[in-house]
Amino acid sequence: MRQLKYLLVVLGLILPGMAFAHGPSRQKVTVTAEVAADPAEVWSVIGNFHDMSWHPAVFETQGEGGNDLESVRVLVLGEAGGPTITESLYKYDADKMSYSYYIDDVAVEVLPVTNYSSHLTVKPRDGGGSLIEWRGAFYRGYPNNDPPAELNDEAAIAGVTAIYDAGMAALVERFGAP
Amino acid sequence: MTRVWLRSWNALAHRKSRTGTLVALMTLVATQLAAGDFAYVTNQNSQELSILDLDARTETARISIPGKPAGVAVDLKGHVFTVSPDSKVVRRLDAAGTILAAAQLDGGPIGVAYDARQNLIFVSDWYNARIWVMDAETLQTLQVLETGSAPAGLTVSEDGQWLASADRDSDQVSIFDLATLDLHLRPTVGARPFGLRFAPDGRLFVANVGTNDMTVLDPVSGEVLGTVKTGERPYGVAFALGRAFVTNQYGDSVSVIDLATLETITTIDVGEYPEGIDTTSDGATIVVANWFSNTVSLIDAATLEVVGEIETADGPRAFGTFIQQRN
Repeated sequence: MRQLKYLLVVLGLILPGMAFAHGPSRQKVTVTAEVAADPAEVWSVIGNFHDMSWHPAVFETQGEGGNDLESVRVLVLGEAGGPTITESLYKYDADKMSYSYYIDDVAVEVLPVTNYSSHLTVKPRDGGGSLIEWRGAFYRGYPNNDPPAELNDEAAIAGVTAIYDAGMAALVERFGAP
Repeated sequence: MTRVWLRSWNALAHRKSRTGTLVALMTLVATQLAAGDFAYVTNQNSQELSILDLDARTETARISIPGKPAGVAVDLKGHVFTVSPDSKVVRRLDAAGTILAAAQLDGGPIGVAYDARQNLIFVSDWYNARIWVMDAETLQTLQVLETGSAPAGLTVSEDGQWLASADRDSDQVSIFDLATLDLHLRPTVGARPFGLRFAPDGRLFVANVGTNDMTVLDPVSGEVLGTVKTGERPYGVAFALGRAFVTNQYGDSVSVIDLATLETITTIDVGEYPEGIDTTSDGATIVVANWFSNTVSLIDAATLEVVGEIETADGPRAFGTFIQQRN
């Protein structure tokens, strides 16, 4: 019991530090999709920060605050009681059909990244329809040197890309290819 | 569906929207900007150094720098120092980009600063709370200084008296006396300081990523002279015409602060994830590296407008002093 307490004390001291630290090299990912629907229609579906139901991996979007800055959402993944990602809105521009957010809290087992920020934007596509652009900037999940394979730069890029790809595939299915 | 590693789309989008202004200003600026300055921009993602002719506004060379380079410093003799945290290598190049010397370190080297008086460079170790003191010529390590946790940015005061490090995970800066390399003070600043620089008037400006503000310090007494609100995630700071210019990494902008009043004058939109920032030798232009957009933005320090953009390689960070005047 005493050992457990000691362990908790040590973890309590170390974990906040780990949450701050990050790897040496920030990564970037951009995924785009072209759809047949016009930008206003696409934005009406994906432009609400508190409704991520368009993404197949998201079971539920919790939280409130609408599209006001510093509004916080909790994405429940997969099923009720599934893993969560907590995110904060830091830019919202309805005219430009774009919003930006960062992850406040996610387990690296769920998404192997730290210091993650992201932008989602809808633009008119040349020749009609919309161009949807989703981009992320982040560090790998392991903040120190010599990361294990599941927490290295490549794993971080693969994890984010997989989320974006899944979301975009669902949007193309929903709105049709142009 | 196509997946694009940024470069193309974003750079194009930016250029498209500004073409009109750019063309109109081209001739005007060409006459204003004739300082013979070059920018040496470390591109972390593509592992290259972009050499930019700031007068001609073109990239004149792209040099392979393995190991994900971030930190950069220039000296007075036409040399450029780069720091690659992944491979832990510090390099010295000449103005044309030829690699003249390299030193293998360990830990997590990231930031670098140059001391002209003693011909030394200083390199921060992100993982081991220390600074390497190195001979700028041979790149031999002469001494190691102890800092707080996760030192990132380094800066040398213009009078050559002080060296300071932003100790990110200790929420402090370490100030060293350059004459003796002894620790002078460890003042507390805002949360997670990453970039910092001495102003021409000797005050130390520290950008705090965690509190979205900048701490202004007297390096002699360690007294906090002021705290200035910035945009989201302030990263780097440079000075021109009595103003401080701070890159707001998440704001895609540069905050302009009056050095006399410490009031914010305006906020200028630049590219995405602006990071490194420096001033041309004539003090007329501020150059900002846009990490996501793969460009640098040129800001007229007098009119506070973006007057041009130059493309770089992928992931420009330019973390340090990166503008050098060639004769």
